[in-house]
Amino acid sequence: MNTFRYRIRTFFQYKDLIKELVSRDIKLKYRRSFLGYIWSVLNPLLIMIVMTVVFSAMFKRNIENYPVYLLIGRMTYDFLTTSTNGAMRSVTGNAALLKKTYIPKYIFTLSKVTSCMVDFVFSLGALFIVMIATRASFHPHMLLLPVIILQLYIFCCGLGFLLAELNVFFRDIQYIYRAITTAWMYLTPIFYPMEQLPADLQTLIKVFNPMYYYVAQFRDVTLNGQMPGPRIFWGGWIIAFLMLFIGVGIFQKHKDKFILYI
Amino acid sequence: MAKNIIDVDHVSIRFNLANQKVNNLKEYAIKMAKRELMFQEFFALKDVNLHVKPGESWGLIGTNGSGKSTLLKTITGILKPYEGTVKVRGNIAPMIELGAGFDMELTARENIFLNGAVLGHSEEFMQEHFDDIVEFAGLGNFLDSPIKNYSSGMKARLGFAVATMVDPEVLIVDEVLSVGDYQFRKKCNERMEEMLSGGTTLLYVSHNIDSVKALCTHALWLDHGDVIMSGSAQEVCDAYSTRQEQMYKVERKEKEVKKARKTGNKYDYLVVGAGLYGAVFAHEAYQAGKRCLVIDKRDHIGGNVYTEKTSNINVHKYGAHIFHTNKKPIWDYVNRFSQFNNYVNTPVAVYKDELYNLPFNMNTFSRLWGVKTPREAKDKIAEQIKQLNIGEPKNLEEQALSLVGTDVYEKLIKGYTEKQWGRDCKELPSFIIKRLPLRFTYDNNYFNDRYQGIPEDGYTNIVLKLLEGIDVKLDTDYEAYVKEHPDTFEKVIYTGPIDEYFGYSLGHLEYRTVRFETEELDVENFQGNAVVNYTEREVPYTRIIEHKHFEFGQQPTTIISREYSEEWKPGMEPYYPVNDEKNGALLAKYRELADKEENVIFGGRLGNYKYYNMDQVIEEALLLAQKELKRKIVDLGMDENVGEV
Repeated sequence: MNTFRYRIRTFFQYKDLIKELVSRDIKLKYRRSFLGYIWSVLNPLLIMIVMTVVFSAMFKRNIENYPVYLLIGRMTYDFLTTSTNGAMRSVTGNAALLKKTYIPKYIFTLSKVTSCMVDFVFSLGALFIVMIATRASFHPHMLLLPVIILQLYIFCCGLGFLLAELNVFFRDIQYIYRAITTAWMYLTPIFYPMEQLPADLQTLIKVFNPMYYYVAQFRDVTLNGQMPGPRIFWGGWIIAFLMLFIGVGIFQKHKDKFILYI
Repeated sequence: MAKNIIDVDHVSIRFNLANQKVNNLKEYAIKMAKRELMFQEFFALKDVNLHVKPGESWGLIGTNGSGKSTLLKTITGILKPYEGTVKVRGNIAPMIELGAGFDMELTARENIFLNGAVLGHSEEFMQEHFDDIVEFAGLGNFLDSPIKNYSSGMKARLGFAVATMVDPEVLIVDEVLSVGDYQFRKKCNERMEEMLSGGTTLLYVSHNIDSVKALCTHALWLDHGDVIMSGSAQEVCDAYSTRQEQMYKVERKEKEVKKARKTGNKYDYLVVGAGLYGAVFAHEAYQAGKRCLVIDKRDHIGGNVYTEKTSNINVHKYGAHIFHTNKKPIWDYVNRFSQFNNYVNTPVAVYKDELYNLPFNMNTFSRLWGVKTPREAKDKIAEQIKQLNIGEPKNLEEQALSLVGTDVYEKLIKGYTEKQWGRDCKELPSFIIKRLPLRFTYDNNYFNDRYQGIPEDGYTNIVLKLLEGIDVKLDTDYEAYVKEHPDTFEKVIYTGPIDEYFGYSLGHLEYRTVRFETEELDVENFQGNAVVNYTEREVPYTRIIEHKHFEFGQQPTTIISREYSEEWKPGMEPYYPVNDEKNGALLAKYRELADKEENVIFGGRLGNYKYYNMDQVIEEALLLAQKELKRKIVDLGMDENVGEV
């Protein structure tokens, strides 16, 4: 209990560091670029336009408002990859600092995922623009979006901790993870409709692909204007916390050994 | 008793070397398949204990890799001990490499907040101290430019300002204050002293033993993870320095042995003559990593500056040597090897039953004529010169008379000069005396130089220190040595007589020589001055040296040396080169031969056949060393003489 209280206290001591690190990431991303924050919106828009041009002919008949469908999948996936990749390098990348002064190591991982989330929230602007442009209606269910983002955030944190820990001991995890994310992208219905897959594969993805839970919830509230089904809603929470416990558990177990390997 | 602020109890830190080399899955898998995942452990700290009370300042010293930084990291909490416990009661401010938490792309303003957060301060807290930090760092207009544009000194300034803004209970400093300009370093030191006097506990790592001594009350000496010594800073630092010096010497010897093996036991330099010139050159060559052998045919080192302690008095065996120079670099150089006392040479002259001060000054004139003012003295001399009415001086007597008048010449110059040269002044050529300086002040200091003194432990000790670590062979004749050991050296520095080197093939260069009759007298004080000249012809010796007065000695007995000038014959000890036409011409011929001699450099009084004061000899030797070793040794203000540095 004592250690728990101690941890809470150090977390509060360093909460401003998280804030500073997040604001640094955001500032540096947009500083000295002419369009500034607009990039956050413009970037997904451009990708959406390109992909819509390419894929819309293929899937148009099956999907209503393909641009929004695609954009949701793409943005969610981008958040996953950028945040987990950033988190993976967060401990090794700050080796110089960690070797010189005592800072709880999870701070760097946490702040990386957080800054990606902030970026993700910014890019929602693109989604709204596209929705307005395609005359899609705004449903009241969209008020659930923060809850879905929180689920995804927790999931990414957990995965980030796991990857950060692995990367300390095995640097080639980065290459392996890159292959995994590519496969993951194709196994998630981002730019294709789920229905086009064979039934067995559909079941597999619906059960075992965590990304499906988040993308599906997102589309339900935004595109379909309905409550997400209880399976994917509660499943999303369970998966998020499961991932967090695995990630934090492994991270905490080995964190004292990090310093010897970075 | 106050509670300790830091308790390090039996702490060991273990690293696994083998594992650290494997940092990717592929290798891990391969090593595992080959069963090569061995455990190779390495202790960076072994059973270290350290107990620090509040307000103490501890210096951690030791060579690279001794575990100093590891210990600091353990105390800071970065490393967890493998065994033992670390307890810190208080907050720690580490200053381990300033600015480690800076982001180069961010501005100074943003970095202050970031770095503050890294140190665990809240934003609110930083806001409060922001102005203080900016002021201390002295950044002014650069506050909003990215710090990648800053100089390293500016970054250090900013880092120090952020790190020391609070008064932490424990301040950890790891070799960080070496950057920044002088003013900033001073500011840092002031700040640190202020914090120390305010009760902050300091842990300080530095290779600069002097700064550890200055800042710390205690010290801990680590070597390969073991505590060698722990206690008062002074004691530990002294022990450490002594040990370092020993290690250096051992290493140096090993290196020499290795080099000797490689080069077939060849010396870089064979220095002939262990006098000042040879010793200074050998010393500098040795410092530059060259191997030297110094040989001397005498049975002692030091050449003519040799002093020997008899009845506790340093006796100048080859005549009085008083060190004087106008050149600060030379003075600083000799002071590295010995303390010098404040002896000032004020010789006196005895003529019959009269006693005069030397050099010729107002004291002398006053005693001669009872005059008081410079005007009177000048008139007196001018009057005497006028009466003599000498046109072109035909000999030394006429020359001297036309310069100083009758009285000074008769009483103080004539007899002395005749004894020196063994001839009547009328038979000596006038060019021997070009000018006779007359001083119209009451100043008895013989030399006009800025620096003057006698080494407190004798000249021999200076030479001994110069030759420390260098091979020396005494009672060794150059020719015989070369015959016996040809090809054992690359180059020769020859400081013996240049004519002797060539077997006197062109004839002998002449010298003036001096014979000493030294005796110990059973009186405490014989003549009351170190140097007394006897200027009348009838006294056979030219002067008497009473050695103890060079060092203000209080010994019960005294040692005096009577100096007799003698005509020089080949085979006698050479002292003063004779700079007349005949010898000059002969020297020029020998020089020609010398220039053709490869790998032999002639130097010093005998090698150059030139009278040198001690400071000149040292300067010449240093100039040669600079040229020969291609490195700057002391700034002699003569850069053109230095080779490519």
